[in-house]
Amino acid sequence: MSASLSAPAMRATGVWRHTAPVLLGLGRLVLGLAIAAAVWEGAVLAFGIRPEYLPRLSAILSTIAATPEAYAAGFLRTLLETLLGFAAGVLVGVLNGVLFLRAPVLRDMLFPIFVVSQTIPVIAFGALVVLWFGNTLLAKAVIAFYLTFFPVTVNTLLGLQSVDPRQVALLRSFGANGRQILFRLLLPTALPQIFVALRLGSSLSLVGAIVGEWFGDTTGLGVILLQAMYTEQVTVMWAAILCAALLGTGFYALVSLAERWLVFWGAEQ
Amino acid sequence: MPEPLPEPLPEPSSQIGPLLELSGIDKTFGPVQAVRGLSLSVPAGEFVTVVGPSGCGKSTLFNMVAGLDEPDPGGVLRFKGRGCHAQELLGRVSFMPQRDLLLPWRNVIDNAILANEIEGADRKAARAKALRMLPEFGLAGFEAQYPHQLSGGMRQRVALMRTFLFERELMLLDEPFGALDALTRSMMQRWLLDVWERHRRTVLFITHDVDEAIFLGDRVLVMTARPGAVKLALPVNLPRPRSAELVTSPEFIAIKREILAAIEEESMKSFMSSGQAAGKAA
Repeated sequence: MSASLSAPAMRATGVWRHTAPVLLGLGRLVLGLAIAAAVWEGAVLAFGIRPEYLPRLSAILSTIAATPEAYAAGFLRTLLETLLGFAAGVLVGVLNGVLFLRAPVLRDMLFPIFVVSQTIPVIAFGALVVLWFGNTLLAKAVIAFYLTFFPVTVNTLLGLQSVDPRQVALLRSFGANGRQILFRLLLPTALPQIFVALRLGSSLSLVGAIVGEWFGDTTGLGVILLQAMYTEQVTVMWAAILCAALLGTGFYALVSLAERWLVFWGAEQ
Repeated sequence: MPEPLPEPLPEPSSQIGPLLELSGIDKTFGPVQAVRGLSLSVPAGEFVTVVGPSGCGKSTLFNMVAGLDEPDPGGVLRFKGRGCHAQELLGRVSFMPQRDLLLPWRNVIDNAILANEIEGADRKAARAKALRMLPEFGLAGFEAQYPHQLSGGMRQRVALMRTFLFERELMLLDEPFGALDALTRSMMQRWLLDVWERHRRTVLFITHDVDEAIFLGDRVLVMTARPGAVKLALPVNLPRPRSAELVTSPEFIAIKREILAAIEEESMKSFMSSGQAAGKAA
């Protein structure tokens, strides 16, 4: 009787032990954000900062609330471009890493070209991409891709090369073929390194998408930003910046969450 | 109760001639000759231990038998009475390297069935079988734990379980207990004998611990200094099952004395030759 009572109780405390630190962390985060917002609002009022320099947070929020559809549409559009570019960059980056590991000749031939491509400022490249792909969603995704694929390539290759050769020998002794070694050993081993690049890529792909929008489009956070700059609507500019920050942080948080969930053994390495 | 997995092992007694036979095997890595004129034979069902001074080519021997390294042309390698390339042995012997080499993202059960998974076994059946084997390996209740949650001895037992589950006639164990503390080690030795007596696989076991070699083996092979070859093959006619007290019996000591003398001689040789090399270099 007592055992049947204590078992669920113990499970409940177990769940609590797992969720308590998360909730506590979230609580602190909310508190920190609230304090930052209060300091912002208070400083603008107390020092009489003119709205051209820094509008009040409440003013920015009410600007968004006045025309939420425009910001939501811009947010979704930029999100889509970012995600498309990111996904393509990750896919190509991981494939490149595997390819370069298997064919060092290709690595020696292509890697320097990749490095050169990354030294070209993305702004210079942006004009070309618009020339090639026009004012399409694809053009922005391509720029996001261009910023993402390289770090993913480098880190995938690094991660794949970090595998213990004795580990490979063991799997070979079990009769494993190249594909089995790749999927059961090499890629999981590289995962922590790949995730470092994914976190980097999540921010870079957003930069790519926004810069891409500056070369001409009608929707997107970058478009709102650019138009606000030309019309000197500082509050709108700040509203677009807040939306971009929300997008960037949310995406980064999701990638980090996926990392924590997938690379749970990280402590050992 | 019906047994879902039939034991694919053939009877060891049905073997004619030795299971594994090496004769006149050489292996060179660049300027270094690791093994020269190595000959040995392992009858089915025997527990053979290999000792020797460090750097004597024990691991080279193992890598060749595991199929990972091809010996230099000229020697003869026979498995089940048939001459073959080392490469053909890949997937045909179950190899356990010095370190446990568990995959950190797989739990105990999934690490144990790794080799079975690679040979294409049904994952569910393999898991069920591994689950039944857990108590025998002292891992009952640990099936869902990950390697970083286990002690060194437990990790080693998971690696051994992986080796046992990969059912091959020949098991190669390369210093499996080398990293363990003395107490855990002697416990694991007795436990291994216990498991071995029930499963009766042919075992080739590398160690640098003479006591371990005598305690476990039906036969002890002493390797020469580099380039490695078999210097001495000594049968261990001690009764089984063996208990911990055996190591202090006069018979055990007599065998140990003979082996130590042989190893001492070889260690001196390698010490002298490295001294000469250093002298030449200077």
